[in-house]
Amino acid sequence: MPQFFLNKRLIILLVSIIILVALIGFSLRDREQLTWPERFIKDSTGWVQSLVSKPTHFVAGFFENVEDLRITYNENKELKKRLDKLASLEAQVHLLDKENTELRDILDKKETLRDYDPIQATVIGRNPDHWHEMVIINKGKVDGIKENMPVITAKGLIGKVKNISQFTSTIQLLSTMDPKYRISSIIQADKEVFGLVEGYDDQKELLLIKTIPYNAEIKKGQNVVTSGLGGVFPEGLVIGKVVDVVPDQYGLNLTAYVKPGANFYDIENVMVINRTMVQPDVSEMVDDEEEEL
Amino acid sequence: MSRFLPFVLFFLLFILESLFVELFPVKMFNKDWVFAPHFLIASILLLTIYGSKKHGVWYGLLFGLLFDIVYTEVIGIYLFMFPLTAYVISKMMKILQSNIIIATFVVLLGISILEIVAYEMNFLIHITTTPFPIFINTRLLPTLILNFVFLVLVVYPLKKQFEKMNEQLG
Repeated sequence: MPQFFLNKRLIILLVSIIILVALIGFSLRDREQLTWPERFIKDSTGWVQSLVSKPTHFVAGFFENVEDLRITYNENKELKKRLDKLASLEAQVHLLDKENTELRDILDKKETLRDYDPIQATVIGRNPDHWHEMVIINKGKVDGIKENMPVITAKGLIGKVKNISQFTSTIQLLSTMDPKYRISSIIQADKEVFGLVEGYDDQKELLLIKTIPYNAEIKKGQNVVTSGLGGVFPEGLVIGKVVDVVPDQYGLNLTAYVKPGANFYDIENVMVINRTMVQPDVSEMVDDEEEEL
Repeated sequence: MSRFLPFVLFFLLFILESLFVELFPVKMFNKDWVFAPHFLIASILLLTIYGSKKHGVWYGLLFGLLFDIVYTEVIGIYLFMFPLTAYVISKMMKILQSNIIIATFVVLLGISILEIVAYEMNFLIHITTTPFPIFINTRLLPTLILNFVFLVLVVYPLKKQFEKMNEQLG
């Protein structure tokens, strides 16, 4: 192929490789927000996407309903079994809830890390190349969404807001490989164990909580929830259940495998969580530290 | 009118790809398999083969940029790969004859190039840690099967359309 190596083409190729590397570097660095052309394009395509996604979800929903009808009988039996337990549980929860508010009143402690306002949103798109696990929702800056807010479905946490534009935002799912993606969590053992959800095992489809102290008593089936100590996340959002605990590479710590409560596929309606308690100002914390030093 | 037809078509496919991954029952066949739809680039490659090469490369550039901004948020990979694949395919078609079966396989080859290079780049910037053999088995093969089905459905109507358009534009 001598033609291919003609000077002009070679130069174009080299220049575009340089531009490619520069652009990737530009988009990978820690950006506070997207540039305005990106936000504009996202908003415009988001508008078209939400137009298209409504009718398609309606049609898909119809087929899902037909599928549901098929399994109704078994499901009904199972649900009836659980319903018996529910009545007593409900009474118990009511009692505890009341007691909790009373005790809080006595202590004069009104705000907790647990309080939040949910913002309802609908998924209008998903990244078709499966490398970056991201979905696009139809709420953005004007609806009060900010970066890093947690996003949940009825079954549990699915991810956090990565980027926002005026009317849409992108959510990075928990199943992402990004090493910078961490969520402060609690394993609800007899004695609560703190840990960071970091990483996702692609083959097993399980989340990883690394660097748990070696003597922590964790068993299978224990719940994992958010701790609320990360700054933006409220306390008590369900992440999943522990399915396995193994010593790590060097045998100094434990790694827990967590089966996520939410399904990362087939997501339609989500809630973006706006924590009502004040968020700590990061810049303030950094300044304090520096003064101490 | 026919001047804007490819644009409208590509834009619809651009949105269809995202709807497809949202609605496609992933665990229907095998839960380890990843089906990545590449309907958009497949159609752009068909335009390159049957329409004009120049249009193919420019549409590749435009939709690559759009794809990067809207879906991946890492600008560069598809912006670079869409036009490059279109260019390589157009060079290849100079040697091969453009019958419909050969065109289908050349487009599939283009998709493989795109997938492999995109994998290598994502591997380099640590977005994925999947080893190469696993990537081939769980991702590349299912993806090629999916896109082959798509190509079988659309290759004939698109060929007609693009050839007609090419004649009209002269």
